[in-house]
Amino acid sequence: MYIFALASLVQSSWAFDIGPDQGRRDTLSAIGDTLDLKAVEVFTVPVEKYAYGQSLIQVSERDLERFQGQAFTEYLQKQTGLFLRQHGPGMLASLTMRGTSAGHNAVFWNGLPINSPSLGQTDFSILPVGGFDRAEILLGSGGALFGTDAIGGSVHLHTRLKFNQGFQAQVQSNVGSFGLWNQSVQAGFSAEKWSSRTQVYRNFSRNDFPFRNLSKFGTPVERHEHGTVRQYGFVQDLAWRPTDRSQLSTSIWYNDSDREIIPLIGSNTRDQQQDRNLRWVMDYFYFGRKNTLNLKGGLVSDELVFNVGSVNKTRQYFLSGDVEWDILPNIQAKSGIRQTFIQGNLSTYEAEESRTELYHSSNFSFRNNLLVSLNLRQLIYDGNFAPFTPSLGAEWEFFQDQKQSMGLKTMLARSFKVPTLNDRFWVPGGNPELLPEESYSAELGLVHEWKKGNLSVNQSLTYFQMWVDNWIIWLPRGNFWSPENIRSVNNSGLEYNLNAQVRLSSVKLDFSGNYAFNKAINQTDIDGNDRSFGKQLPYTPVHKAQGQVGASKDIWSAFINHQWVGERFVATDNIASVAAYSLWDTGIRMEFPERFIVKGQAGFQVNNLLNTEYQILRLRTMPGRNYQLNITIRL
Amino acid sequence: MKNVRLNLLLFAAVFAFWACDNEGPQIPLGEFEKGVLIINEGAFGANDGEIYHYTGGDDVSADIFERVNNRPFAGLIQDLVEHEGRTYLVANTGKVEVVDTRDFTSLGAVSDGLDITRSLAVYQDKLFISDWGPYDANFNSPDSYIAVVDNLSGGTISKKIAVSSRPEKMSLVGSRLLVANAQNLDIVNLDTDTLANTVEIEGNPADFFRNEGNLYLYARDAENIYFHRINTSNFSIQNTVTIALAGATSNMSLGRNGEIYVLTSTGFPDYDDAVAKVSISQNQVIDASIYRGSGLYGIGFNPNDNRIYVADNNGFQGNGTVIVLDESGDEVKTIPAGRGPSGFVFK
Repeated sequence: MYIFALASLVQSSWAFDIGPDQGRRDTLSAIGDTLDLKAVEVFTVPVEKYAYGQSLIQVSERDLERFQGQAFTEYLQKQTGLFLRQHGPGMLASLTMRGTSAGHNAVFWNGLPINSPSLGQTDFSILPVGGFDRAEILLGSGGALFGTDAIGGSVHLHTRLKFNQGFQAQVQSNVGSFGLWNQSVQAGFSAEKWSSRTQVYRNFSRNDFPFRNLSKFGTPVERHEHGTVRQYGFVQDLAWRPTDRSQLSTSIWYNDSDREIIPLIGSNTRDQQQDRNLRWVMDYFYFGRKNTLNLKGGLVSDELVFNVGSVNKTRQYFLSGDVEWDILPNIQAKSGIRQTFIQGNLSTYEAEESRTELYHSSNFSFRNNLLVSLNLRQLIYDGNFAPFTPSLGAEWEFFQDQKQSMGLKTMLARSFKVPTLNDRFWVPGGNPELLPEESYSAELGLVHEWKKGNLSVNQSLTYFQMWVDNWIIWLPRGNFWSPENIRSVNNSGLEYNLNAQVRLSSVKLDFSGNYAFNKAINQTDIDGNDRSFGKQLPYTPVHKAQGQVGASKDIWSAFINHQWVGERFVATDNIASVAAYSLWDTGIRMEFPERFIVKGQAGFQVNNLLNTEYQILRLRTMPGRNYQLNITIRL
Repeated sequence: MKNVRLNLLLFAAVFAFWACDNEGPQIPLGEFEKGVLIINEGAFGANDGEIYHYTGGDDVSADIFERVNNRPFAGLIQDLVEHEGRTYLVANTGKVEVVDTRDFTSLGAVSDGLDITRSLAVYQDKLFISDWGPYDANFNSPDSYIAVVDNLSGGTISKKIAVSSRPEKMSLVGSRLLVANAQNLDIVNLDTDTLANTVEIEGNPADFFRNEGNLYLYARDAENIYFHRINTSNFSIQNTVTIALAGATSNMSLGRNGEIYVLTSTGFPDYDDAVAKVSISQNQVIDASIYRGSGLYGIGFNPNDNRIYVADNNGFQGNGTVIVLDESGDEVKTIPAGRGPSGFVFK
């Protein structure tokens, strides 16, 4: 019996009822009755374990199902309160969290930081759904817990492997408008002591959607001729439990993406970009009676080729070790060290850097309703001390009865970002004297869970305040641009999240909604004529709202999703802006009936149902109404 | 000699009055035929070039192309050329928009077949558009050209005349089109639409100007600026005035009495920009820095009020500012401009 949790989209998890020693329960496993009792998931450390007080967005495999083969951008844009500066479908997309810049969030794959060391950020368009099984997003400063870049938050992608599953295989196809064709094949075998899974995929989109060419006399409707996206890759996961007390696991992900860059309206560029990303990670765990040892090694190799001639390669090697132990029944701690070695061979320079990080995390539980996390981190890069980053977070469940519970959560944190290789070494203009960017943040949230009969409601409201200083911006200096630690920004905002489920006889209804309010106010004028002081940062919407209603009955389910993004300013002086937009998507899905020859499911969806003409960034075209059909067959 | 010139002037003035009288009531000037047009180039990767219109005091009219035509200009404006009632907005993103000089209503465009468009000249009902051509793999421009359009309101390109790499500004002398390229000067014969010859130039050519009846080509390198006087009968360099001025940019404007204002930039590590005042007749720098700033991106001398208009791009973080100076470099006022202000047309 499959329960179709179609709209269990974005759930903040507030698990007040469990102690720190158990970690926080994955809300997915609560779906329950489809899981084999003997199935044991390959052990990983939950990213939120030492993050009491922080807001968490959990993205499950089911949430990602209908986004198969698409960029992770699409999921985040449509289903969360987060905003990505997206240059077109399949094109560069950078995430802004809590009003910070694209480089102010750390991105991890299986615990490995994958932000480009030269660009300092991740292009979410080359993280195809399929390269990972689930994701967690932690909102707010995570420098103490995760290291550099996590000023506005952090994104964690995971593959998920299980033991005791026998042979499993799956074929997924997704076809749609404008030549979309995503295909993936997955096969795995697992026994009690080992598990292996291999996945290959190929994603293609001709991307020749029509658009109104505003730059031309008479604004004719034309089709894009230069936007084809080709992507392929593979993922291999392996895990081995030689004894009950140890586990060795490794994953490798290669993604190759070749894109024709859709030109800005009014430009006739025919740029071509190729990205080749190889990520490899290996984890060893030893589970002692009171302690757990984790050794981790990894490699992240990125190659970005722009217009054939400009080749930019970076490689990062990681080695880390930490020990986690129970000091007292109510105190758990983890201490570790991470060594990173970075090699950059960019089109205009070469650079090397080594980083050493010492970190410590502790969880305390008091009377079972007050949970506290304390994290500390010191990073040293090439002999320079990055700002020492502590964070202190707490969750306090102050009311609980049979029907509902209410809690408060809070966090104080410092975070930082090491200047990127490009910031320091780009020729011309790179500025080796740059200081790390740094931030202080404080947040307070209220969490409410309520259950009555067949209705359950889970909601949270968070207020945050953040001060970012030494913010690096590139300014035109003579014949070239050069970065400086010029800007300081005050960020503040509200995040509201609601999830509700109700069961009416055989129909299950889900509702989820998000609202994000982000003020990111510039505190600096670069010179006397600048009009940026006191203004909102560019392309940072003050408002974004998203909501989805889902219904499921037997093998059928359907959803309708809406997102609304407020006005975005084009530049720091807040004179020009891009209009707010509102988009509707809808879809229907069917699980194959039990007597059907194969297991699996099929879904059909319509994106941009009202054929709205909109721009996320000024003069960057986005497609109108389009259709998608996806089929999954399991063996 | 003086008398002859005075008589000519008087004759011209009388003729002008006479002409007006004979044409009945005077046609009022269009909205954009008076005041100052501020060319805002726009930011790279944003295509937000626009024209602002300044009419004195605090009256600045923003984004006049979009306001009149209900669509964004959607390009980076490299140059603005006026010719007999038509204004050509040359976008280096590969198009030329043609608007009515009076009210900026769109009359047409050249939007297909251009690459990195730089400037435009009009000769015998044809448009001649300088273009760098497409970049090769190493970002060089080996296939630069002058595109020819047989209609003054735009349309399709009838032919392309191959020229030296990176043509910029142009000047017409009879049927010869002088093209200032990145490294040299091309002479294009417009009777045959062919490149007649190429003249090597000291310094990097930037712009043409006329002073006391002579045609000059302004060029510069890291240490010097050069005023090459062009012999308009054989198109050779008649003589060159070399003046030591470090860090001169391609931005200059001719003031009164042979005074020329040049934007300079020290570059790394101080990044000080300045307005230098040089005299072409005295062959020297009068003052290397009558005004200092950063992000100075364009300059124009307004002959109507004898003010120097300096464009400040404000680091391209937002819109720019125009700083109005008197002839000794003292700031008179500032005018809010658009993204990356880079030049002016004074009416």
